[in-house]
Amino acid sequence: MNLFRSEDHARRWPAFLPRSEEGFIALPDLAGFFATESRHHMLEPDYLSTWYPRRAAERRAYLEHIGKTTPFWLGTPDEASR
Amino acid sequence: MADARLRDAMFHRIMRGLVDTGRAPHYAELARPLGLSVENARLLLHEVMQAYPIGWLHPETDFIASFPPLNNLPTQYRVTVGGRQIWFAQCGFEATSVTWLFPGEIVRVDAPCLDCGDPVTLEMRDGRITRVEPAGVIGHLNFGFGPSRGRPAFL
Repeated sequence: MNLFRSEDHARRWPAFLPRSEEGFIALPDLAGFFATESRHHMLEPDYLSTWYPRRAAERRAYLEHIGKTTPFWLGTPDEASR
Repeated sequence: MADARLRDAMFHRIMRGLVDTGRAPHYAELARPLGLSVENARLLLHEVMQAYPIGWLHPETDFIASFPPLNNLPTQYRVTVGGRQIWFAQCGFEATSVTWLFPGEIVRVDAPCLDCGDPVTLEMRDGRITRVEPAGVIGHLNFGFGPSRGRPAFL
C-alpha cells in the first residue's frame, strides 16, 4: 500500500500488477478510509479490546460509501475462486 | 491466556512508547510495569500480536517489527512531528492514520516515489490534509485486501 506521485508513476513501478488497476484511491478518500471512528481512539487504554474489533466493519462501510465494493477492496473471494 | 485488561495494558504501553520515543518497547522492559515475569511478558506480547494481526513480529523472533500505523522497522515513509523525524509509518496507507496519534500537531510524511525516487510529501493535522506535494499524489493497493490475494496487504 503505497503513495505515488501520480497514477502514471504507479504504473511504471516494476512491481505494479495489472490487476491493481482497480487499486487506486484518491488521497482524500484514503484519508477518510483511515479516519473511521475507531482510529480516533488508538491511544486509549481499552483500544485493543473495545475499539479495534470495530475496525473491520467501519472499513467495509467506508469502502462501500466510496464505491469500492469489488473483492479486491473488500477482501472477499474472487468469483472465479468460489 | 491473559485477560483482556492485561492485553489492553501491554498494547497501550507499546503504542504509547512508539509515539513518545519512535520505537516499540521490548517485552522485557514491559514486564515489571505490568507486574509480570519476563517470560510471561513475552507470552503476553504474542497474545497482543495475535489480537492485532495487522502488526507483526519479525519472523522467528520476539521483536516487534510493525505496530500500525507506525513501524518499528524503518520504511520509506518517514514521519516528522514537531521538527523530529523519529517515526516511520507501516505503509503509505497507514501513513494517513498517523495523524490520530498526534492530536493538534502537524504530521508530515515524506517518502520517495517507488517509480522515480522523487519526493512525495503529505501533511495532516487532526485528520485533515493540509499539504500535498505534488498535487497528484495517489494511493495504490497492489495486491488487494484479504487472504485470498495471497500476499501481505501492506505491499
